Amino acid sequence: MAPRVAIIGLASDFGCQVQVTNMEDHLLDVLGLMDLSYWQLASSGHLPDEYDVAVIEGAVTTADHAEALLKARETAAVVIAIGSCAITGGIPALAGTADYDARYGVVYGDGVAVARGRQLPAPVSSVIEVDYHVPGCPIDPAEFVTVLSRAIMGLKDDMPRDPMCAICKTQENVCFLDRGRACLGLVTRTGCTAKCVTLGRPCTGCRGISPEANIPAARLVYAEKGLDPLELDRLFDLYNAAREVVV
Amino acid sequence: MFFRVIDKERLPDLVTGLSTEYEVIAPVEKDGRFVYAPVVDPGDVRLDYDTTLLPPKKWFFPAEETLMRFRVADNEVLDDEVFAAPRVLFGLHPCDINALLLMDNVFTGRYADPYYMRRREQTLLIGVSCSPSDTCFCNVWDTNEVHWGFDVFLTDMGDRYFASCRTVKGAEILDRFVENRTVTDEDTREFQRVVHDFKDAFDRSVDTTQLPVLLDAKFDSPIWDEFGEKCLSCGACSMVCPTCYCFDVHDRLEPDQKSGVRVRTWDSCQFKEFAAVAHGQNFRDTRASRVKYRYYHKQWGYLSKFERVLCVGCGRCARACPAGINPVNVIEALQTGEVR
Ligand code: SF4
Ligand code: SF4
Ligand code: SF4
Ligand code: SF4
Repeated sequence: MAPRVAIIGLASDFGCQVQVTNMEDHLLDVLGLMDLSYWQLASSGHLPDEYDVAVIEGAVTTADHAEALLKARETAAVVIAIGSCAITGGIPALAGTADYDARYGVVYGDGVAVARGRQLPAPVSSVIEVDYHVPGCPIDPAEFVTVLSRAIMGLKDDMPRDPMCAICKTQENVCFLDRGRACLGLVTRTGCTAKCVTLGRPCTGCRGISPEANIPAARLVYAEKGLDPLELDRLFDLYNAAREVVV
Repeated sequence: MFFRVIDKERLPDLVTGLSTEYEVIAPVEKDGRFVYAPVVDPGDVRLDYDTTLLPPKKWFFPAEETLMRFRVADNEVLDDEVFAAPRVLFGLHPCDINALLLMDNVFTGRYADPYYMRRREQTLLIGVSCSPSDTCFCNVWDTNEVHWGFDVFLTDMGDRYFASCRTVKGAEILDRFVENRTVTDEDTREFQRVVHDFKDAFDRSVDTTQLPVLLDAKFDSPIWDEFGEKCLSCGACSMVCPTCYCFDVHDRLEPDQKSGVRVRTWDSCQFKEFAAVAHGQNFRDTRASRVKYRYYHKQWGYLSKFERVLCVGCGRCARACPAGINPVNVIEALQTGEVR
């Protein structure tokens, strides 16, 4: 029987789901491998009682989210987190870089509760164990297909671990640091062929902090290149406010 | 060897002529630096380049290549053809030609690599003289001279090139594609002068006396820990190095899971997983040990097998390493006991 796959969206802009829906050429092949029991964007059905694979997008921001995750972990044999929101807290976690309650008040008004049990945005792994990861903001559909295939075949999670610079060199990019501009590639998890740098923009760290990153050394490199060493820490806030390092 | 002289103005004819039968790859400008790329217009070729971001190895051993396709159901190989178009690599500096000879020791030796070999056989090499940039230290290893490993080598003599043809093929392409003349005594004298000037232009010297002994004596030196603290484990040094040949092999399944491809990618000894083995063991667990063994391999391990160090002093790692770690400052640190 084809594995039943449910997609569960927490706090996010659904960009990752859109990416998956957009991958016309591979979608049919993958669909052949699985039964898309619940697909928040692609169908209007409700979450079934039973499914095999839970694909989670988005950060945890409410008690309802946490409950949904616990339920998903109990139900599914395999949990896949997709996108930086789900894996590191991503952009939602930016909320925690200053007084969270004050920020909430500015947006929604004082004492207004728009969701039950709101909490500081956090990665899925803060609530349940995650088996597979597809990092990025948004994710690369091809990487999603690869990870999903691995999950279905029972192969181990194989998220790349090393920093970005090696693959950036293979693209023959002129290093931003040599042009006096900050880049997070030297501490960011590789796996995207340094897409941003290749397209002319420094790496902003959407794939998360590399478990092999040498952050103190990277600050020294910034200083050596005439940048403020703390710029590195400021840049982390965009996608890595929680400084979550998935090993 | 045959020698010819080519008028500098006529050189584009050679590129144009070669383009009718070969894919011509030469240094061209990219964002203020240089890369080896297929030539679209002979006017784009920049023989005044200092160095290229990636070395020519990518044309023989690409950063990523498919070794074969296979079928999952019965493990059958579907396609392992090595396709290699006839090519000319135009404008290689002596360091990069020497680097290919070091690569050959590995890829065409006992365990010959059909992918590398096929491309190597299909490619002509045309070298060109250079002048040292501030990161070059080929003089330290004598790799600023090249005696074989090229088809033609062009030495810039101002208004003309002194062309050394190492192979019959090299002489043939010159005669077919560009007006040239035989060498006069005056040309030979000028050639000698230019080559001497080139050798005199190096102001960097590194003492490499008994380097293997120095390395062994400093095996437990705290210097390695200092380099380990600076290293980002980013692998940039290996990617840009013309003599780094390590690779990784992965199988990737197609989305339908019925077939897959076996892919080879460049690897780096600076990555933690490089030396990870079954059972969770890793015999290069720390950054310090990884930096150390990069240099042990290059300046000692390879030397003990092939009688050359695995470095040609091209200086690409010196430009690429964000932490400023390179053979010159490693050797100097071992000698002085201080990381500069
Ligand atoms: S541009 Fe960024 S990713 Fe590329 S080499 Fe430089 S620091 Fe690394
Ligand atoms: S390292 Fe030597 S051979 Fe290579 S470009 Fe510099 S001077 Fe020329
Ligand atoms: S170690 Fe550095 S200088 Fe030596 S060949 Fe490699 S990149 Fe060039
Ligand atoms: S030596 Fe330099 S280039 Fe090589 S891995 Fe370390 S920091 Fe990166």
